[in-house]
Formats: sequence, structure tokens, C-alpha cells
Amino acid sequence: MRRHRALLTALALVVLVAMVPAAVFAAETPRRGGVLLAAIAADAPSLDPHQEQTFATMQMVAPLYSTLIQIDPLQYPKVIGDAATDWKIAPDGLTYTFKIRQGIRFHDGSPLTAADVKATYDKIVFPPAGVRSIRKNAYAAIGSIEAPDPATVVFKLKHPSASLFGNLASPWNVIYPKKYLDKDPNYFKANVVGSGPFKLKSYTRGSTFEGERNPDYFVKDRPYLDGYKFFISPETSVRAAALRSGRAWVEFRTMPQSDVAAIKKQLGDKIVVQDTPATGLFGIAMNQTTKPFNDIRVRKALTLGIDRYTAGKVLYPIASLRDVGGLMRPGTEWAVSDAELQRYPGFGRDMDKNRAEAKRLLAEAGYPNGLKLVLKNRNVRVPYVDFGVFVIQEWRKIGVEAEHRPLETAAWFADGRDTGNFEVIVNGVFNYLDDPDLFLERYTTGDTNNWGKFSDPRIDDLFARQARALDPAERKRLVNELEKIVLDNAYHIPGLWWARSVVHWAKVKNYVAPPNHYSNQKLQDVWLAED
Amino acid sequence: MRTYIAKRLLLIIPTLLGAATLVFVIMRVIPGDVALLIFGGDQAGHIDPKQLAAMRQQLGLDQPLVVQFGTWLWGVLRLDFGKSLWTGQPVIEELLIRLPLSLELALLATVVSVIISIPLGMLAAVRQDSWVDYAIRIFSIGGLAIPGFWVGILTILALVIFFGWGPPLEFTPPWVNPWANLSMMIWPVLTVGYRYAAVTTRMTRSTVLEVLREDYIRTAWAKGLRERAVVIRHALKNAMLPVITLIGTEFAFLIGGLVVTETVFTLNGIGRFVVDAVAHRDYPVVQALVFLIASGFVVINLLVDLTYAWFDPRIRYR
Repeated sequence: MRRHRALLTALALVVLVAMVPAAVFAAETPRRGGVLLAAIAADAPSLDPHQEQTFATMQMVAPLYSTLIQIDPLQYPKVIGDAATDWKIAPDGLTYTFKIRQGIRFHDGSPLTAADVKATYDKIVFPPAGVRSIRKNAYAAIGSIEAPDPATVVFKLKHPSASLFGNLASPWNVIYPKKYLDKDPNYFKANVVGSGPFKLKSYTRGSTFEGERNPDYFVKDRPYLDGYKFFISPETSVRAAALRSGRAWVEFRTMPQSDVAAIKKQLGDKIVVQDTPATGLFGIAMNQTTKPFNDIRVRKALTLGIDRYTAGKVLYPIASLRDVGGLMRPGTEWAVSDAELQRYPGFGRDMDKNRAEAKRLLAEAGYPNGLKLVLKNRNVRVPYVDFGVFVIQEWRKIGVEAEHRPLETAAWFADGRDTGNFEVIVNGVFNYLDDPDLFLERYTTGDTNNWGKFSDPRIDDLFARQARALDPAERKRLVNELEKIVLDNAYHIPGLWWARSVVHWAKVKNYVAPPNHYSNQKLQDVWLAED
Repeated sequence: MRTYIAKRLLLIIPTLLGAATLVFVIMRVIPGDVALLIFGGDQAGHIDPKQLAAMRQQLGLDQPLVVQFGTWLWGVLRLDFGKSLWTGQPVIEELLIRLPLSLELALLATVVSVIISIPLGMLAAVRQDSWVDYAIRIFSIGGLAIPGFWVGILTILALVIFFGWGPPLEFTPPWVNPWANLSMMIWPVLTVGYRYAAVTTRMTRSTVLEVLREDYIRTAWAKGLRERAVVIRHALKNAMLPVITLIGTEFAFLIGGLVVTETVFTLNGIGRFVVDAVAHRDYPVVQALVFLIASGFVVINLLVDLTYAWFDPRIRYR
């Protein structure tokens, strides 16, 4: 009987497999060839990712370069090798040794060795005068970088760093050939000599950026594509139209839900939408060097007055702001539980109670008839202005009259970060990894991103301790403790976490959208089912 | 005539110097710091004050304003407009990438506009208060009232929705592939040309109407000339002076002023370049572009004035 059942099962399986159209299998077999057409919202200020922060630089040049290690294109945030095949971290956490893959060649034919990796990281960690290194602080623990032989790179740390390994997988840290850096450390602002799956074919500033297949790429049988081409178009509706008409097959950053719906309606199954959360938090800084924001009661009232849960529903379709969370992205290992989050001011779900408490606190602080203030903002509609407008409506319900003052980007940076010329201001943070160092340093004393200019020695101490805590459980405890202090004291008003809707034609295969628009842009595994 | 031209040429110097000074001062007065922006990127980033100071020094922003202005002006005299603070590329190189597109757009839009507006304006004047006049007035008021970007977006959406086709996203010069060039440029040319034609039609109509009431026109009718001879030979030539001024200034405006149209149609033109440069506080780029656009205006005005002299001999002999 048992044998019969097994036979029947096997037979059923054979029939089932036979019923599946051959096309399904064929469709999933990677196909070589074709040029991937993509629309992008901005041009790159320069081509040197070490010196830039915009997705525009990253998405255009990532396919041209290799990094030491990388975030797995298919499994964010797992770290896998790239130029390095193997690595070892000393038990004391003070020495990181990487073995470099042999046979990697730059696009100019020269071999990639440990000396190039050292020169690259020296530029990032110890930039020479006149060279900016945006993410230098993330590598502050590194004391020296050595290349004892062509296949070995050793990072020696001044103190243990829990974030360093993840930060070495940063997509921004592309490897440059040493000989060009020696001549001019700014050479790569306008030139490309990488070792990635694609080589630069052409670049017309403000218009297009094109890469072609690197036949000597060190990963066998990759890339599948013959090339890729970005069309630069700052207007969202135009990028949406380009997708609808097939002039572009993918927009890697995000599209607002309204455009996504229209594209889906027109193209149906020809289109795939990958919705992911995103590692970006938008909120409000309060200038705590001035009255009344140096009063905890006023700050608490302002955070209590915002209905984040309704905001997520209202703002998601128009501004891609969706998830309610604290200082670390909800759903990650670092985030506090929902129940715990709801205990913090402004995160409770009973808005009547929150608003009553906000009014009581304002009255207690000397503002029984409410408060007038100016909310400065960046004049970028998605998501800044939309978020600002929502907050103003909410504050009106607790008697706070806010005048909305959107500023162009330069003035917004000048007032918010440089001079502190604001009362309250909308700002945000966006990183490639859910890493506490990257997200929490902005709450420490004197940090340039601490726009509210508050100082709490407990936060500084906790930040320093979590950065060195190699035990994940201990680190999470310290991170959550730091978060509790920031939220309980309402030092900053976190608003909502961003969400990402990557729209692409179904024929674009094997691209998995991570929760950021920086990693997984190398395109080495992406293929086209048809041209 | 020669004195007239010499005088006009000499006037160019103070005009351009004034424009150069004005834009230099304005760029310094508005808040925002290019060095900070370069460090900031599109989100907040960490800034090392030493690196920031080094960056300011590298960009020459630590020099006194007078020195900065003098250096820039000396460069301009040698046709060296400096390098973009943002990209490090020579400004002139960046400009030359975008100039052919902007020139083609301005030129074609002007041609479209002239072809539409002069016959329509004339017809509206000759058939004043008839249904033809009303139809033409509706057409021209529509062109003035409807924003160009809206017409542009609707055009693209209509093409995409009804034909599943969108204009190319990349500029191909006409000498490389005329068809590809036309399939991209035709839509912005029609959109801009319509607005431009609306303005010129109205101007042509009112100037022709004015001229038609002149004594010499009455004389022409009295002589028994045919309508075509009266309108084209006698009225039109005399009615053209203000229209030519308008066409000239609009043409100059079209080279640098089509920011929204360029954005909507993904055109990598001068207008978008200027606005991006202002947003980035890229002083050399803004200064160079405003200077060059001002020079364009001056040259076109000069040409317009010379054309005046051709149309109206009284100006030549004055």
C-alpha cells in the first residue's frame, strides 16, 4: 500500500511538472544580452562615491566598481565577499584581515591588489587635504591599514567597533587603482577606472549615463546584460510616463503610489512593483538653544500632537512615508517592540488622550492659549512639504499655530545645520544599512547632524558604549536605552519611516529591491527576459 | 548708420558689466554655502570643520569678495569662465553640451510661432470682429492663459495613454539622426511655439489694426489697390516693427528661460542648467550663464535694432 502511495505521488509529480508550461522554466533561465534602460531623478554631482551622498552617483557608477565586501544583492543585510574572498576578525575585535581574490583586473588592464584596497581606504579614512570623505566618521575606530602582501589587507583598530564590518560592506567604498590616486586623489570625480561588471561607455552630463559589459569581469558568466543606460529626468510624472511608454524599464529609487497605480492600470502584468520599507526617517528638529523648545513640556506637547498612525495612511500614497517607528527602523533587530514604542510620548494610539495631555503640558509651560511658531522645511514636495503640511494640521488641534516656510535646499541646510536659524525644522536621515552608529550619532553632543543642538551626557555615553559593544544583545540594550532617553525627553520628533516602491517591467529579472536605494545597484545578476 | 552701430556696440560694455556685477552680488547675498552643500549632498552628512575650511580654500571662497570678483572678471575677459564648483568641469564645456539643444528648441519654436502668428494676426486684424477674429482671439488667449508645463504634461500623457508611445528621453542632434531628433523635439517645439505664437498673434493683430487706420492705407484703398497689395505691401511691413522686437526678445528668453518645458520633456538645456546651478550655489556657473544670456539678449537686441533700420529707413537716416 505504502509503495503504491509513493508511486502515485511520484506519478502525480511527473504529471504536474509536465503540465507546467515550458515557458515558465524558460523564463527563469537567465538570458544574456540586452541593455537595461532606467530612469533616474537626478544627475551625479561627481562620479566619486567616496565624496558623494546622493543615490544619483551611487546608482550610475556602482556597476563599474568592486568593493571589498558587499551587502548580498539578494539578501539584505547579509554581508558577502566581493574583491575579498575570505576574512578573519581577531577575537579581541581589533584586527580585521581580508584575503583579496586573485585575478581581478581593473578596466585599464592592471591587476587589483591589496595595495589598491589600502590606498582606497586610506583615502576614505585619512583623506588628504582638499579631498572630502563624507563617511569618514563611520571608520573612526580604524588606526591603520596595512597591505603586507598583494593578497592581504589588514585593518588595525584603536578600539573594537560593532559596526565596522557592516560599514566595510558599504556600497560607497568602491576600490580605485592606487596609481591614479597617487597622482590625483580627486581623479575619480570625473573619471572611472573600476573593476566592476560594466565599463563606462558614455556620459552626457544632465542627460544620459551608459555602461557596457566588462568581458574580463572576475565573476564567471557575469554580467548577463550587455549594458545599462540611465536617462536623467527630474520630473516624477515624466519618469512615470517613460515607464509607461517603455522608454525606461526601471526606476530604482521609488515612485509615489498614485503613479504606481496608473502604471499598473495601463501595463498590468507587464509591470512588477516591489514595495519595501526604507532606511529613511523623516522628523522634526527643535532648536533647543532657544525658548520655548528648551522646555521639555513644550517639546513633549509637540510630539504628542502628531497622529503618526493616521499620517502613515494619509502620506503613504502621496509621499511614500508609511511606517511608525522610533529611532531605528521598525521590524529590524534594533527596533523596540510595538508595545514598548507606544509608551513613548506621541506614539500612543489614543489621540484624544495625547492631545489632552499636550494641551495640559502647554498650559503648564505658560501657553494656555496655544503657541505660534515657524516650521521651516525643504521645498521638496516628496516627502518634505507633504509631511510639513500634515504636521501643521495636527498641531492646530492642540492650539499650536505653525507658519510653514519651505526653503530651497541651500537655505534649508544653511538655516538648519549651519546657523541654527530656526525654531522647528523638518529634516531626515537616510542610510544604506540599519546600523545604530549611522542612525544614532546625530543625537550626540556637537554632532553636525544634531540640528536641535541638544546635549545629554547620558546619550553621548550610551552611544560610545554601543559602538564598542560586540555582543549584539548588549548592544541592542544600549541602543534601546539611548532611544528611550531621546524619546522620553522629546529631544527630537521622529515622524515616519519612508517606504520604497520600485517599479520595473516584468522582463527585468533578478533584481531584489533592498530597503534602501544605494545597495544592490551593481546589476551583475540582473537579466532581461526580452529586449 | 555706421555711427549708430558704433554707438550701439559701445553701449554693450556697461550693460554687460552691470549684469555681471549684479549677478555676482545677488549670488553672494542669498543664504546658502556651496561648500556646505557639497558636503551635505541630498541628505545630512557629517562635516569636519577642517575639511570644510580646506574646501572653501580650494574653491577660492576664502578670498575677499573684491578679489573673487576681480579674478572672475579677468577670466571673462580671456573667455575663461572658470570651473563649476560642484562638478569641477569647465563651465564652457558644460555649456556647450547643452547649447545645441537650447538653440534648436528656440529656433524651431520661433519658426513655428512666426509661421502661425503672422498670418493669423493679420487675418484677425483684416477680419476684425468676425467669427474668424473671435476664433483666432480664443486661440491666442488660450495660449497665454494655459501654462506651458501643463500642456506639456498633457501632451506626453495623451501620447502614452492613447498610443502607448512616449518621446525619446535622449537628445540626438539633427545631423546625426533627423528623425530621432524630430520625434523628441516636435512636442516641446509645438508646446513652446503655441505660447509664443499666442503672444505674437496678439501683437501682430493690434499693430496691423493700428496701421490699417493710417492715412496712407486709406490712400492705397482709394487708389483702387487690391486687398492683398494693401495688407501685405503697405500695412504688414509697417506693422512689423514691434512684432520683430517681440520675436527677438522672446527668442533670447527661449534660450535660457525654458526651465519647466525642459524639465517636462527631459531636455538637457540651458534653462535647467541655470536653475540647478542656482540651487547648488555654483557661483561660476550662474555668473557665466547669466553673463552669456545677458550677452545673448544684447546681441539680439542689436540685431533687432539693425533690422528696424532695414524695415524703417527713417531710423537709418536719423
